[in-house]
Amino acid sequence: MKTSLVRLIGALLLSLAGLAPIARAQSFDTPPQPGAPRPLTIATPVEQRLPNGLRVVLAERRGVQLVTAQLVVLSGSEVDPPQRAGLASITAGLLTKGTRRHSATALAQAAESLGGALDSSAGWHQSEVAITVTVPKLDAALALVSEVVQQPVFAPAELDRLRAQALDELKVAYTRPATLAGQAAQRLLFGNGAYGHPAGGTPASLARIARADLLALHAARYRPDNAVLVLAGDLDAADALRLAQRHFGAWKAGSSAPVPAPMPVGAALAQSAAVIDLPVSGQAAVVVATPLPPLGADRATAAVMNAVLGGGYSSRLNQEIRIRRGLSYGAGSALDARPDGATLRAGVQTKNESAAEVLGLVQTEFDRLAAAPVGADELAARKATVIGDFSRSVETTAGLGAAVEALIVAGRPLADLGQRIDALSAVGADAVQRYAAANLGAAGRRVVIAGDAARFAQALKATTPGLSVIAADQLDLDLGSALSRP
Amino acid sequence: MGPIWLRRAVAVITASSALLGFAADAPLKIAPVAFNERVLANGLQVIAVPSSASPTVSVQVWYHVGAKDDPAGRSGFAHLFEHLMFKSTAHLKAEQFDRLTEDVGGANNAFTGNDVTGYTDLVPSNHLEVLLWAEAERMSNLNVVQANFVSERAVVEEEYRERVLATPYGRFGNAIAPAAYQVHPYKRPSIGSIADLDAATLADVVAFHARYYRPDNATLVVAGDFDAAQLDAWVDKYFARVPRPATPLPRVSVDEPAWDSDRSVTVTAPQVPLPAVALVWLAPPVTSPDAPALQIAAALLGSGESSRLNQALVYRQRVAGQIGFDADLRAGPGLLTATAIVASGKPLAAVAQALLAEVLRLAAQPVGAAELAKVKTQLLTAALLSRQTPEGLASAVADAAVLQGGAGHVNTDLVALQNVSAADVQRVLQRYVARAHKVSVQYVQAAAQEGGAK
Repeated sequence: MKTSLVRLIGALLLSLAGLAPIARAQSFDTPPQPGAPRPLTIATPVEQRLPNGLRVVLAERRGVQLVTAQLVVLSGSEVDPPQRAGLASITAGLLTKGTRRHSATALAQAAESLGGALDSSAGWHQSEVAITVTVPKLDAALALVSEVVQQPVFAPAELDRLRAQALDELKVAYTRPATLAGQAAQRLLFGNGAYGHPAGGTPASLARIARADLLALHAARYRPDNAVLVLAGDLDAADALRLAQRHFGAWKAGSSAPVPAPMPVGAALAQSAAVIDLPVSGQAAVVVATPLPPLGADRATAAVMNAVLGGGYSSRLNQEIRIRRGLSYGAGSALDARPDGATLRAGVQTKNESAAEVLGLVQTEFDRLAAAPVGADELAARKATVIGDFSRSVETTAGLGAAVEALIVAGRPLADLGQRIDALSAVGADAVQRYAAANLGAAGRRVVIAGDAARFAQALKATTPGLSVIAADQLDLDLGSALSRP
Repeated sequence: MGPIWLRRAVAVITASSALLGFAADAPLKIAPVAFNERVLANGLQVIAVPSSASPTVSVQVWYHVGAKDDPAGRSGFAHLFEHLMFKSTAHLKAEQFDRLTEDVGGANNAFTGNDVTGYTDLVPSNHLEVLLWAEAERMSNLNVVQANFVSERAVVEEEYRERVLATPYGRFGNAIAPAAYQVHPYKRPSIGSIADLDAATLADVVAFHARYYRPDNATLVVAGDFDAAQLDAWVDKYFARVPRPATPLPRVSVDEPAWDSDRSVTVTAPQVPLPAVALVWLAPPVTSPDAPALQIAAALLGSGESSRLNQALVYRQRVAGQIGFDADLRAGPGLLTATAIVASGKPLAAVAQALLAEVLRLAAQPVGAAELAKVKTQLLTAALLSRQTPEGLASAVADAAVLQGGAGHVNTDLVALQNVSAADVQRVLQRYVARAHKVSVQYVQAAAQEGGAK
């Protein structure tokens, strides 16, 4: 909204005035003072609906000659059945690999001839096909999106090809300490529930996925009353509706059965800490993760808390670990706000010998958020950072589309987009401390370090009770009852 | 290896609403980027790119110095130095750039390329004057202390470990330039080595700043929301006073002679999940009239799922999981690099042969009109995508001004790309690939006894 940035910058001016002397005329020794800000306004996206139930949401950004189109199905990896981790991901991936009318190659050629690419993927509570093109190509691009969403053939040969590629990608991913630590931490946090498995699957689960699984998921979930067409960029609401009607008006749900509810998100495994031994790793990846309740009215508070802890270059984690001690190229944290349960996850890569020291520093910063209020100057700076990041993220059509999609997937009102800067500006130090005290307790925290265990496991055992060391090739990312293979 | 970005933590015509008024195959038109260019008396090149699409402004200073200018025995130094430009100056505390950018809702970053080092600030537009002051300050008054030098060097060593040692194909990417170049300083990896980084001293920092960080070796680009007259006044106020040293600017004058034979290098590493191969040819400078045709050739071969290498190696033959073709054009001799990561169970030699065959096929037979039009649309759309933001606009103009031979190239290069013909593509691939020698780099798992070396 117009006034919030003005208020924020005004407050910053006041606080800076106490710290830095006002620039003297003709002196180059001190920075000049900023002028009056030009506020940013973000319009609320416009929602319309087709008779078949498809929601059509438009976020306008005029003058850019571009439009990002995303057909979002509101189901994703959380509906992967037990033993079929990666099904939603493989299903989305195969949409563009052949339809009743076109081969995989013809589809890729058609999309790329429009200047874009058909990007299909699945995540938590979302499966999507997206493309960004210039305005004159939008009509043809939407025809392609419509075709791949409604008429995929899921050819067996294409499934074999995609599966082989996915298995090779896992082979590579499992040599990254950060990937192993992150996936293990997710298993510890969510155990055997809907959020506990890797969205990309595992070698065992990918091997089990059959064409019938894809057909069943597509029939149950890919339907107009479980989907939203998001358009972001250079067009108006009347054109948006006309295009949606032309390309998606005839889309009918595959069955009349209601969309089944997914299984519960899952409860944490008893184990709270693990080392994944990757003896040839050139660094250790340290991950500390903690579960958070689903984000609602406290969304802005959580975002500001994360900015203080590990969001952006000057966050506490990066200050302590990189800037002050030179222990890493970058230390940070992120919120993973899934609709039925969020997580806060810090991640740092450091030389193997420094892993225990880095873990101690991360733990200290988690504890400090609950123990003491964030100072006024630090809070103002971190809020400015998170507001600035958000404001810049909507400068591109793809960024604007992603922000709108995130709201829809989270079940938030579209008006939140325009109100987000105000909401972030209103967060106080007391709210951050209360939120941290309520949610960042050591009991829920899970720790995973992946790297050359011989160089750090001994030091860790002294400070981390219940630590077990698991060889990387013995790590069980399928829904077993423990992290290690039986 | 591409430019190294410093600050990233771990973790891109007016449209009518009458859509039906456009034929799907109408040629795209991009409005030219409007800019104003001048040179101060001290040699600083200043380019202003107005755009009021958002209330932000990008301030970029590109110094004409890069990894090729690393001092002898100090590989990685230009990049280490880039990190130190965020430490103290006469009138700025260490990390005060973060106070002036991130803390007011902005951001900063920097990168070290083979030929340039760029510093990029993005701030709410009312902070423009502050950033101009700050950039002039670190151009003239850098004052790094020993403690900050030592701790930041440790950060760069962790960056080396993260990018090279702890990333699956890090060692492979880092090995390509050293394997390919025979004499040009591009031969040294821009990230350096732990030993060379450890050998660097604070005295090296002082000397490097004095040698290269001067107004006649820099380009200032300001893009976004500003008043042109006010910008000129501020630039004069803060930058005109930076002195131009009397000493001459050292320049790399070494050339890379044409390679007179094919060479092959095998690189091993303790953990190679799937082998990989790179085929490398020498490219002409980015200012060559052949550059646009090479960029089109690279897009035909490697851009997107419908690209030739992807269709042949990944899709039809299923011998590779990932492919790429990079026209890495530089101020000096660049590299044309075809890469493939081998699919499980496929022989590396056969994949290398398939990769070569597909590149040579484009040299041997003219590309069809539809395929050529496809990559031109892809490249034009990519340019539009990157120019949506002040930062993207500033980067495009700075790249044109510093590397391509003039800011005007930001507009003329897009026209040149559109004018490339099928015969042009064939001609450049014949010259630089089919009738030239190549270097093959194979990346494979080390034997067990080498496995412990790190």
